[in-house]
Amino acid sequence: MTLPEGTGPLAGVNVLDLSWIVAGPTVGRALTDYGATVIRVESPSRVDTARVVAPFHADEPGVENSGLYVNVNAGKWGLTLDLRISEAQEIFRRLVVWADIVCESFTAGVLSRWQLDEPNLRRLKPDLIMLSSTLLGQTGPYNQVSGFGSQGAGMAGVQDLTGWADRPPAGPYGPYTDYPAPRFSLTALLAALDHRNRTGEGVFIDQAQAEGTLQLLAPALINVKNGGPALERRGNDDPQMTPHGVFPCRRTSDRSESWVAIAVASDEQWRALAEVIGANPSLTIGERREQQAAIEATISNWTAQRSAADAEEALQALGVSAHRLSNTEDAANDPQLAHRGHFHRLPHTLHGETTVEGPRYLHSETPGRPQRPAPLYGEHNRQILSELLGLSDEEIEHLAASGALS
Amino acid sequence: MLSPYRVIDLTDERGVLAGQMLADLGADVIQVEPPSGSSGRGVAPFFADRPGESIYWAAYTRGKRGVTCDLEQPRGRDLLFRLLESADFLFESSDVGRMAALGLDEESVRERFPQLIYVSISAFGQTGPKAHYAGSDLAIWAAGTPLLMTGDDDRAPLRVSQPQAWGHAAADAAGGAMLALHARHQSGRGQHVDVSAQVSAAQSTLAQVLAYQLGASEPERFGGGIKVRGQGLRGTADVADGYIVLLMAPGPAVGHFANHAVRWLVDIGAIDAGMLDEDMVTYADRLAAGQANPELFPRLQENMRAAVASRTKQEMLDISIAYDLLLVPVLTVADLAESPQLEHRGFWRDIEHADGRIVTYPGPPLQIFVGGEPFGYSHRPPPTLGQHNAEIYAEIGVDANELEQLNEAGTI
Repeated sequence: MTLPEGTGPLAGVNVLDLSWIVAGPTVGRALTDYGATVIRVESPSRVDTARVVAPFHADEPGVENSGLYVNVNAGKWGLTLDLRISEAQEIFRRLVVWADIVCESFTAGVLSRWQLDEPNLRRLKPDLIMLSSTLLGQTGPYNQVSGFGSQGAGMAGVQDLTGWADRPPAGPYGPYTDYPAPRFSLTALLAALDHRNRTGEGVFIDQAQAEGTLQLLAPALINVKNGGPALERRGNDDPQMTPHGVFPCRRTSDRSESWVAIAVASDEQWRALAEVIGANPSLTIGERREQQAAIEATISNWTAQRSAADAEEALQALGVSAHRLSNTEDAANDPQLAHRGHFHRLPHTLHGETTVEGPRYLHSETPGRPQRPAPLYGEHNRQILSELLGLSDEEIEHLAASGALS
Repeated sequence: MLSPYRVIDLTDERGVLAGQMLADLGADVIQVEPPSGSSGRGVAPFFADRPGESIYWAAYTRGKRGVTCDLEQPRGRDLLFRLLESADFLFESSDVGRMAALGLDEESVRERFPQLIYVSISAFGQTGPKAHYAGSDLAIWAAGTPLLMTGDDDRAPLRVSQPQAWGHAAADAAGGAMLALHARHQSGRGQHVDVSAQVSAAQSTLAQVLAYQLGASEPERFGGGIKVRGQGLRGTADVADGYIVLLMAPGPAVGHFANHAVRWLVDIGAIDAGMLDEDMVTYADRLAAGQANPELFPRLQENMRAAVASRTKQEMLDISIAYDLLLVPVLTVADLAESPQLEHRGFWRDIEHADGRIVTYPGPPLQIFVGGEPFGYSHRPPPTLGQHNAEIYAEIGVDANELEQLNEAGTI
């Protein structure tokens, strides 16, 4: 017996997703967009943090109201299992046999305590592909560090590298390591699946989310490791692009602030900008860096007289890289995101409708899409237990009585 | 794992990470540059002992082989077509419209090579009203919404000081390419994968990009923390030698970590043992019901800040592990270079460059075990300009004579 199969290049690929919050679930979301059948296993007692953080539908907190949870779990089937209970562990083992891929993000060592770690699961399913994703990895002196991607941002250097030189670090928005990490694990999982299909060999992937994030700091790391200076936070300054920054624009009545980002990448772009703002178009980048403060004041004077949208359009028409700092209302109305169909409306049992992001890429032949809304807490328990695993009503009742499901 | 596959990588600094991710997984990736060198070779920083040699370019071409080929010349394009005969993937990140101007747009190329997976990385995507916008790290971060959310509330919004936007997009491109490979296994056909860095940036907001459409408030920036309904909550604290990320909050999701912090503060004598009776998991609910002291938690936070202020980042990390706190140091780039965790995991790779010097690189991004054995990552250094011309062009049937002609014509 089986769950209804998805459509797309990964149709028939079964994924058991017991990761949580963002870095892990994002991978399962991508797989299901392209046809994989993904069962998201949640603890009935320890609520997924993604369910209790903003943005909430209509700003109302609640475990079924989080837009984040809906966004990273769309398309999945939902099962609650309390893995501390032996009956739940037995169900889990049966699902491992069904799965091609298992994703998990427990603190290193937790699954071993339940004999559900990779060596044990591989005995059940020799060609299993398994992803274990934690902040700092399965091994090493700090593998027990708890935390979310916000802690990860601290441990991956990004917290310190975001801020003004004269102030403490401001840090990036949210749990930064959750953003790069799934991009690396998804790519590796798909390579592993290809490898298994060709050779029959299973694969285990130990992901330190911080180490994925460090790939995006590679130039700074190579520099410091090879005798160069250690990069420090420097506001929006860029030695190779000057002027380069965020400038205040005329506010519209409904906004408390309005900004435009401007990045001048070449002398040609500088000449175009200089003509418009009334600066000397023949300045070299060296001269522009010397006169940086005065140039920025001249730009601010020009931007302050127009809306961010007008500044963006005027500068882009001249080939200068510029964009208003979009807020989420701007994103909702962005004609480019609309052109790409980035936002998908999905039916939602409690909210009538919800909105999720689409896949990260447009495939010309096999476009991905969220196949169904994210599961409510334990929404598919019965379906998974009876239709997929073939449990009888009595067996399900017995399971429920053991505390495995709630 | 990807050793059966070949990538022709036409990217510049904008998309150069994508091919490397596949190279790290075993693919044969050939970086193709114009004879004058990629614009990526001009991107800072530069090696301290080799002025003008781009660390950026080295960082993301490590693991690849390299050839030169002038795609402006018809002869260069013919050479590219010969390379593509044995290729599974093509990656490109040029200005939108440039590939079409060269007759190398995805439709033309895929017509000739229907099995090819053609991946385009651009700021806004290949089509649409902003497709021809000039892109940049800052403009992309602005257009995807994370920029407005980041920074101190009394100053302009901020990016990360090591540019990030193109890296997110290129990393997405690698995943999109792999999905297309699985589609090809099903259909026998390649396809076009269109990656927009704006979308990749939007995907880096903890779903806040959806706030307006869900009827939720706009996120507000607050340096070193978050703002909830206009109220700033610091998520960092000062310690003796820098900063720590410190999350201490009541509630069902993280309250138990706050209980652990109480235990530590009691153990060091900073607060009275009576605090152990206060359960931070239920505190918020009790507060709402009028059954808890509203001053208790703010006082606890003050006690915590005072206790950490005299200790170092390393001391606080050790305490965090011993007590299971939500607390880690804010590591600087200099700290990362000395990290015992990265050292223990063998994160650094010493790689011998073509000129004989040893350069230390970060990586691998993942520790992978195939059939129980550690996956063997390549130690291939970044290619010098045209380093593998003779080798690779010989592989596709270019003989010594023709190679000479291609050199003389400036094609390679």
